[in-house]
Amino acid sequence: MSERLKIAITKGRLLDQSVELFEAAGLDCTPIRNPGRRLVHCLPNYPLDAVLAKAPDVITYVEHGVCDLGIVGKDTILEKGGSFYEVLDLGFGKCRFALAVKEGSDFYGTYKTRRVASKYPEVTRSFFEKKGMDVDIIKIEGSVELAPILNLADAIVDIVETGATLKANGLVPIEEVAPVSARLIVNTASMKLYKDEIADLIARCEGELEKRT
Amino acid sequence: MKFNINTPEGTRDRLFAECQERRQVQARLTRLFRQRGFLEVSTPDTEFYDLFARSGSAISQEQMIKVGDPSGKFCVMRPDSTTPIARVAATKLKAVALPQRLYYDQTVYRANPAHNGSSREIPQCGVELIGAKGKKADLEIIATAIDALRCCGAPKFHVELGHAGFFRELAGRLELADDGAEEMRALIEGKNFAALVDFLTPYQGHPACAALAQLSRLFGGVEVLAQAERLAGQTPAVDYLSSLYDELSAAGYGQYIRFDLGMVHQIDYYTGVVFRGYVEGAGDAVLSGGRYDNLVGVFGREAQATGFAVDVDAVARTLPQLVPPVLRTVVHYEPGYLAQALEAVDSCPAGTCELSPCRTLESSLNLARDKGVERVLVFDKDGERTVTV
Repeated sequence: MSERLKIAITKGRLLDQSVELFEAAGLDCTPIRNPGRRLVHCLPNYPLDAVLAKAPDVITYVEHGVCDLGIVGKDTILEKGGSFYEVLDLGFGKCRFALAVKEGSDFYGTYKTRRVASKYPEVTRSFFEKKGMDVDIIKIEGSVELAPILNLADAIVDIVETGATLKANGLVPIEEVAPVSARLIVNTASMKLYKDEIADLIARCEGELEKRT
Repeated sequence: MKFNINTPEGTRDRLFAECQERRQVQARLTRLFRQRGFLEVSTPDTEFYDLFARSGSAISQEQMIKVGDPSGKFCVMRPDSTTPIARVAATKLKAVALPQRLYYDQTVYRANPAHNGSSREIPQCGVELIGAKGKKADLEIIATAIDALRCCGAPKFHVELGHAGFFRELAGRLELADDGAEEMRALIEGKNFAALVDFLTPYQGHPACAALAQLSRLFGGVEVLAQAERLAGQTPAVDYLSSLYDELSAAGYGQYIRFDLGMVHQIDYYTGVVFRGYVEGAGDAVLSGGRYDNLVGVFGREAQATGFAVDVDAVARTLPQLVPPVLRTVVHYEPGYLAQALEAVDSCPAGTCELSPCRTLESSLNLARDKGVERVLVFDKDGERTVTV
C-alpha cells in the first residue's frame, strides 16, 4: 500500500467509539488517544492519518477531497446533504429523529398551520414535504424543548436517545422521523483513485462490525 | 444609497496566472478537438427554461440560474451545453448530413448552495458526436476523452466506464415499482453498501439480487467485468464493455481504463455506455460523458449521439501553477521614436518589457524604480541606449 489515506472523524462521543472500532480492527490509535498539540494524527501501524472536526466540517472536508474518508452521524448527513459515498453504517451513535409535542396535545387533529421548531430545519422540511403538509419551521440553535414550553411552536423535531429530556419537559415523541447512527463516508474521487487502500479499511471495519452482531 | 461593489456569491475575478492556466487547458483541449474533426459551435448564455425541462437532464430546477426575459418568458442561464447543441443539431443543422462532430468551449452556470466554495460559473470544453451509433462511435469518443486528459498534462488519471443498460436489466429482472427502482438506484449511486443489502433483503433468493447487492462494489480494473458476469450471467451491457476494452487496449488505452458498473447517475438520460474521468488532485470527476440516443430526437430529428464535457478549472487546478512573466525592461522614448520603442518591446519575451507612458526620462526612471525594474531602454536623437536604475 503506497498511499496514506486521510480521515476526518467527528469530535466527541463518535470519536471514542470510532477509536474503539479501529483498534478492534487492528489499527493502533495511540496518537488519537494522546493527541497533545498535534492536529493531524498519523497512525503508526496503518497508512491512515486522522483529523478531528465538527460534524458538518467532516462532510465539507470529504466533499472537497482534502480528506478521503470521514465518520459522521446520519443526522448531519440528512441535514447538510452533499455529494459523497456513504459506504457503511457503523452501528454506533444510535438514536433517532423524532417529532415531539406537548403531552396531551393533538398535533395532527387540526387544519391550522402548525409551527415546528428544530435545530435541523432541512430534516424537518423534507419530513413534512413528504407528508404534503405546510408547516412553519423555526430554526432554534440551543435547547429546542423550550420552544413548545414558551408556546413558540406546536412541536419539535429533534434527536431523541432515551426520551428522558423530553419527558422532563412535558413532551412526548409521537412519530419517528428517521433513524440515526454513525456512517463511514468516502470522497467520490478518492474511492476510485485509492480503491485498494479504501477497500481494505472498509473490509476491516465490516469484519469487526459483523463480529459485533 | 449604498452600492455593492463586490462580486456575487459563487463568482469571482480572476487575475493573471489563473487566467493563463484556464486558457492553457482550453487551448490544449480545443486543439485536440479540431484535430479530430470537430467544429466549434457556440450557443446563447441564456435560453428558455422549457428547453432544459424537455431534455430530461438531471439538472434540477433549483440548480438553474433564472433570468428575466423582456417577453415575460422564463429563462435560465445555460446549465449545460449538450442540450442546446442537440437543439442546434436538430434544427439549424437539420439539412447537414450525419454524423456531425461538434465541440464547444463555453461556460455553464449552476446555482450552488452558499459558502461551499464552488463556482456558479463553470467553463467547460466538450465534444458531441451526433448521428453515429454503435461501437466505433463509442470508441472514438472514449479514446478522445482519454487523449483530452492526457493532452492537458494530467499526471495521474483514468477514465471509468459504466453502462446504463446493466442496471436497467437487473432492475427489470427484479420487477420493482418506479419509486422502488429509484430508491435502489440512489443507494447504488451513493455506494451505500449496507443500506443496499437491507433494501434487497425482501428479494433474497431472486436471481438478480446477488448482482444488485454487489453493484455498488463493482468498480475497479477489468476484472470487474468477469465478476459482473459471475454474478449476473451474460448480459449485453457487460459483453459490450468487454469488447470496447479489448479494442481500446489494442490501441494502447488500456492502462487508463477502469470500470464502475455502479455508475447509475441520470439513468433516464443516458442510453448506453457512460464514463467519467478522474485526475489525482481533484476531489471529484473532472470529465463526464456518455451515450444519449434520445435527446436529439426530442427536438425533432432522430439521431443517436454521444459526447463528453471537461471541467476546465478542475483540470487546471491539478496542473503545476504557472508563473507570470517578470517585467525586466521599461522603454522610454522621445517623440518620433515610437516605432523603434514598439519594436524593442515586441522583440522581448511576452510580459518582460513594456513602454513607459512618462514624458520625461526622469519620470520613467522613477517608474522603473517603483516597479523594481533595473533596466530602462531609451530611444532618442542619440539612438538607443540602456540606463541601469
